[in-house]
Amino acid sequence: MQRPCGTFDETYGQDTAVVRTKPQWGLVIAGLIWLLTVPLYGGDYVLGLINHISILIIAVLGLQITTGYCGLVSFGQAAFMAVGAYTSAILTLNGVPFWLALPLAGLAAGLIGLIGGAPSLRVKGFYLALATLAVHYVIMYLIMHLSITGATAGLHPPPPKIGNFVFSSDKTMFYIIVPLMLLMTYFAKNLARTKLGRAFVAIRDNDLAAKVMGINLYYYKLLAFFIGCFFAGIAGSLLGHWWQVVAPEQFTIVQSLIYVGMIIVGGLGSVAGVFFGVISLRLLDEVVFLAAPALSAAFPTLAMDIAAPLSGVVFGLVIILFLIFEPRGLAHRWEIFKTSYRLYPFSY
Amino acid sequence: MTELLQYVVTGLMTGGLYAMVGLSIVLVYKATEVVSLAHGELLGFGALFFWLFFVALGLPLWLSILVMLACSALLGLIIERFAMRPLIGQSLFSAFFMTVAIYLMLDGIFALILKGGAVGWPAFLPAGNIYPGGIRISLSSLATLGICLSLFGILAAFFKYTKIGLGMRATAEDHQLSQSAGINVKWVFLAIWAISAMAAAIAGVSAGNVMGVHYYLPFFILMKGLVAALFGGLDSIPGVLLGGLILGAVESIAAGYLAPIVGGGVQEVAAFVFLLVILIVRPHGLFGLARIERI
Repeated sequence: MQRPCGTFDETYGQDTAVVRTKPQWGLVIAGLIWLLTVPLYGGDYVLGLINHISILIIAVLGLQITTGYCGLVSFGQAAFMAVGAYTSAILTLNGVPFWLALPLAGLAAGLIGLIGGAPSLRVKGFYLALATLAVHYVIMYLIMHLSITGATAGLHPPPPKIGNFVFSSDKTMFYIIVPLMLLMTYFAKNLARTKLGRAFVAIRDNDLAAKVMGINLYYYKLLAFFIGCFFAGIAGSLLGHWWQVVAPEQFTIVQSLIYVGMIIVGGLGSVAGVFFGVISLRLLDEVVFLAAPALSAAFPTLAMDIAAPLSGVVFGLVIILFLIFEPRGLAHRWEIFKTSYRLYPFSY
Repeated sequence: MTELLQYVVTGLMTGGLYAMVGLSIVLVYKATEVVSLAHGELLGFGALFFWLFFVALGLPLWLSILVMLACSALLGLIIERFAMRPLIGQSLFSAFFMTVAIYLMLDGIFALILKGGAVGWPAFLPAGNIYPGGIRISLSSLATLGICLSLFGILAAFFKYTKIGLGMRATAEDHQLSQSAGINVKWVFLAIWAISAMAAAIAGVSAGNVMGVHYYLPFFILMKGLVAALFGGLDSIPGVLLGGLILGAVESIAAGYLAPIVGGGVQEVAAFVFLLVILIVRPHGLFGLARIERI
């Protein structure tokens, strides 16, 4: 990282720190205080939006670990979310408390992810992407045809509770979802800096070379799938208990494609990129949904419900533009911006 | 026995459809090394164009087919020139995801045009069934198989006997070598996208003829076409024909024998289980080249 002239690292701790300077600490703390006090003045609409963005961030962080760090393209993230959501719904409906069902949902999704990621041992690139697409299809087929998952009708998991206190509103769920999102972000950010993260990056850059260097490909590729799907399972479980409904149409293949699109817009292989990608695309989606009624009033010849197809069009267009003009994503722009303001009066 | 034969024959008819979509994907893959999901929507738009000219504008059949092919080719050219060309030299994942993005965008437009419903599809092929040897064959499906086989025949002849076709085969082998041999690789890419868009559009019209044009048609056929292409080997044209036909037969047999046991929709998932088995057992497909990787 480039820093102003005269700023040196004197200890190993300083050299590896994520948050380095006092102003950065100030910003982090101020940001956290702001985020955690939003429920005091924000309405249900804002809180709902933040909750949804946080859940998406958890799911896409998992995908970033599998796809962005380890280079294993997965088009099945939504199905792994579904596994988590259904596991925790079935467990809580049978009397298991939410607090135990949540990690179990992550584990279940991770274990299914090991099966779903098994083709990665044989194939990569497009072939793997299509294999995970097939896994998505098979998982959703099973969910829609088994009796334990309530088939197409879905399930209604109860909201989480402590004692007599029930987390049933957007405001109360906010205090479960957002801290978990922060915890998962902390985990993902640090994962990338450990031996594990470096092994993932080596596999992404060239898996044969990584193998030659002594990285156990089978172990690390499956581990990448396990961790990515664990995140998806947690996100799915939170989504189910927040909406109090779990149904197959929440987890479509288009959702999986959109998650991959989010890491492309944000930037592959960067935790900050997940935040940029999810927040910008989710807000864009919100704008489309708000503008859709006005548009259908202006063009009555179009279909009645134009919001869903229109968001597909806008989303596709955004991805196309990003791939052509900024394939490294918003995170790369952010790095450029940070470097230039640190060196402000000078160009380099 | 008759029952089994019936399932196989019905499956082969549908398989022709999958083979055509698979063909359009294989054509692009051979020339540009990109697996394209955009062809799913090129298929849907082919059917829409045909409907527009034949039903909405009332043009004669031969003219509407020609105009439909021209419009689809134009769409393919636009996609190549403005979306795929800028990505030459970037990672294949970017190019692959570009086709996904194009798919999502065209899918939205497709849904807007269809308004969530289906278009009334004209019956321009002979309807009815024939019963040779106690097996029911619907004439429209038979026509689909005929269209599929003649499409493969025309393209095989095109690649084998024309100079342009030879240039395209050379480009598929090595971009730089063929460029230094005087082949205009950019032009070949454009031509391949136009040809494959037309192949997809023909598949779309045939699909509309057999199962009607509705919102889920492009996705449904696209997935089957991908499975067919992967099964045959992504870079083999005879492979995709065989792959499509076998996939159709497998699906039909699964629907016939498994659906009474495990419930409906099993033929959908059968194709994907089949795909997973292929990918794990033989990743390069039946006739595809196994690539040897070097560091």
